[in-house]
Amino acid sequence: MPNLKELKNRISSVKSTRKITSAMKMVAASKLRRAQELAESSRVYADSLSFILSSLAGNTKNSSDLPEILTGRENSKISLLIINSSDRGLCGGFNSNLFRNAKKWISDQQGLGKSVKIMTVGKKASSFYKKTDLDIVASFEDLNSNDRQLQVSEEIKNKIMELFENNEIDEVSILFNKFVSAISQEPTYQPLIPLSNDETSEEESEANNSVFEFEPDKNELLEYLVPRNFLTQIYRSVLESSASEHAARMTSMDNATRNAGDMIDRLTLTYNRTRQAFITKELIEIISGAEAV
Amino acid sequence: MINLKVVSPQKVIFEKEVEMAVLPGAEGDFAAMPNHSPFISSLRPGQMAIMSSNKVDESFFVSGGLVMLKEKVCEVLVDQIEPLSEVNSSNYQQSKTYQELEGNETALVTFEQVVNNPPYK
Repeated sequence: MPNLKELKNRISSVKSTRKITSAMKMVAASKLRRAQELAESSRVYADSLSFILSSLAGNTKNSSDLPEILTGRENSKISLLIINSSDRGLCGGFNSNLFRNAKKWISDQQGLGKSVKIMTVGKKASSFYKKTDLDIVASFEDLNSNDRQLQVSEEIKNKIMELFENNEIDEVSILFNKFVSAISQEPTYQPLIPLSNDETSEEESEANNSVFEFEPDKNELLEYLVPRNFLTQIYRSVLESSASEHAARMTSMDNATRNAGDMIDRLTLTYNRTRQAFITKELIEIISGAEAV
Repeated sequence: MINLKVVSPQKVIFEKEVEMAVLPGAEGDFAAMPNHSPFISSLRPGQMAIMSSNKVDESFFVSGGLVMLKEKVCEVLVDQIEPLSEVNSSNYQQSKTYQELEGNETALVTFEQVVNNPPYK
């Protein structure tokens, strides 16, 4: 027979866990709203910038005129993957999904005969990849404010430009959880070097057709645009990832709160039954005692 | 009227119909007006002036960026922007732009000049 005192303690501990998870859910929900706004408002700049970049690239007929950092190197040997994880846990499958995806990507790249280097964003990725034998070129942590997110994006940009110029990497992709909706996030790859050209949307073909005048000349503009574009793309992925993180945490904490509620119901039922059984047992003892007299 | 849209990496700062906007292009100031030929330019630090009937309505300091002009749209992608009316010329060094530009000597000098004596008044 379960101990009444034990059951009582159990119920109160599950109740306090429920309080914590429901508070975390609320916090995540309000943070999500803010992160989502940021992600959406940063989209305008990123879209315009990629429009300008593609019209510039489209205007240049001969792709060999474009700088290497835009078109990529011909014999690319070393790929860099930037992994955008979270700083904190308790967000469901947010990080493990990402790492599983990254693992597949890495083995695909190695199958193509390329070596892979890793750059981690967020504490979770850095502690995860420390245990593997992959080459980590840099780790960034504590992306807890918008200013910090921008600053980290800037640092990542500088690092990849430096690595590319020193021939330490040939290709760069970012992996992040794309924010689809509050209940769904999707691990997504965004190529940085070479610049993705699979987005042949209507906008893009319009960009290739319209005749722009450029000032100063194209090469000087590209010199300004390419780093700007990296920064914007990285910043955007960081923002998307943070929106996804809050969404994932909100969903998983909502589940946890509900599970705790179910558990409390079950425990309360057992508690009441046990208490009732004790009373009945005592009554039987008294009655049979009285009968014996 | 031309649709002027000013965007920073974080957000759309404003979007409105204006008669003319004067921008500090990399190779000289230019005026954005409707039916300007399609044009993409980078910006140097300087004053951006929104004008109507030869008067400056609003004045800003931009620290650099890009501009794309086509037909009736003028999109300005700025690094940093601040209305000049919010900068006090006597203690401009306390302004947000000044602090953000720290380390960029040429931009700071331009900022000082623009604050004290804007080219378009």
